[in-house]
Amino acid sequence: MTEVFVNMGEISAFKTQGILTTVGLGSCIGVTLYDAVEKVGVMGHIFLPRSRPKDKDALPGKYADTGIPAMIEEAVKLGARKSRLKAKMAGGANLFPNLTTNSTSIGQQNIEAVAENLKKHGIAIIGKDVAGGHGRKMRFFVETGVVTVTAIGKEAVEI
Amino acid sequence: MSSEAKLDFLKELANIGTGHATTALSQMLGGRLFQLVVPDAQMLPFSEAAEYIGGLEQLVAGIFIVVSGDVGGHMAFLIPFDSAMVLVKLLTGDDSGEMNELALSALQELGNIMITSYLNALSKMTDFLMAPSVPGVAVDMAGAVWESVLAGAEVTNEVTVIRTEFFADGESIEGNIIFLPDDDDFKKIARVLGLGEM
Repeated sequence: MTEVFVNMGEISAFKTQGILTTVGLGSCIGVTLYDAVEKVGVMGHIFLPRSRPKDKDALPGKYADTGIPAMIEEAVKLGARKSRLKAKMAGGANLFPNLTTNSTSIGQQNIEAVAENLKKHGIAIIGKDVAGGHGRKMRFFVETGVVTVTAIGKEAVEI
Repeated sequence: MSSEAKLDFLKELANIGTGHATTALSQMLGGRLFQLVVPDAQMLPFSEAAEYIGGLEQLVAGIFIVVSGDVGGHMAFLIPFDSAMVLVKLLTGDDSGEMNELALSALQELGNIMITSYLNALSKMTDFLMAPSVPGVAVDMAGAVWESVLAGAEVTNEVTVIRTEFFADGESIEGNIIFLPDDDDFKKIARVLGLGEM
């Protein structure tokens, strides 16, 4: 089965079948949207919470505020119905906690921004594995909607 | 200044910085000699930055430092796991192969000394203050460490990366020191060294 790797800032999608994978999620968030009826799946790899004027050439998927709408658009383009979309998310870790003692970590800001933007579009989060201090690998099996998350030295768990 | 001249200049900075960093490491390890691989300097588009370090799922030890002062930026020191364990053994005498608290703090201190030496060399050359933060240390997938470094640096669409790889003669120690200068701050360095506008 075709497996596509989704790098930072990218959005990829499949209809019917295929595997969407992102490796090495640290403070970034892997987000999936799924319409179980049409079997349409989209994965984004969000880098930072909010788009910035000085980064005007950025891919929409780089930021949560532009990435979530772009993912929805992609899903709808492939035949998904927006009202049926459900989300899962993984990542948002803080690998260097001693550098963020006086501020909210980027990982935590990303978690909040992704949740907020999904809520704005009325999309429920039905599975998540976020925060903590370790990296993650996320795989999304579009045929079944199953999403697995793996940390180093651990077995994959379904979210 | 042509882009080729600009990259040559950045490579020279990397060479000087890493040269001092490995000298400090050599002193810590009883005079072991290190070789520097030709440094790499690039202005990468964001889409290529993720894969720049390669081997995203490999286990690495990563040390991350924020640089502030007249010239700001971020520095990362990435060490393959096996090399990190060799360094731990040489520094602490612990050959259990376990990445425990002692091992982590030894790596943190090692990263601190090396990165401080790197920055001191550039500071001396330019008279610019470049102060390192406390180092953060993580042992995880290379991709997760690197991505957290890039996010910490809040990189835009053009990522200036200056990297030097080094290894020890006759010992399996290797590592990468990567400097991500803040937007425009390396231009200040060029200006003060009389290299003209970039």
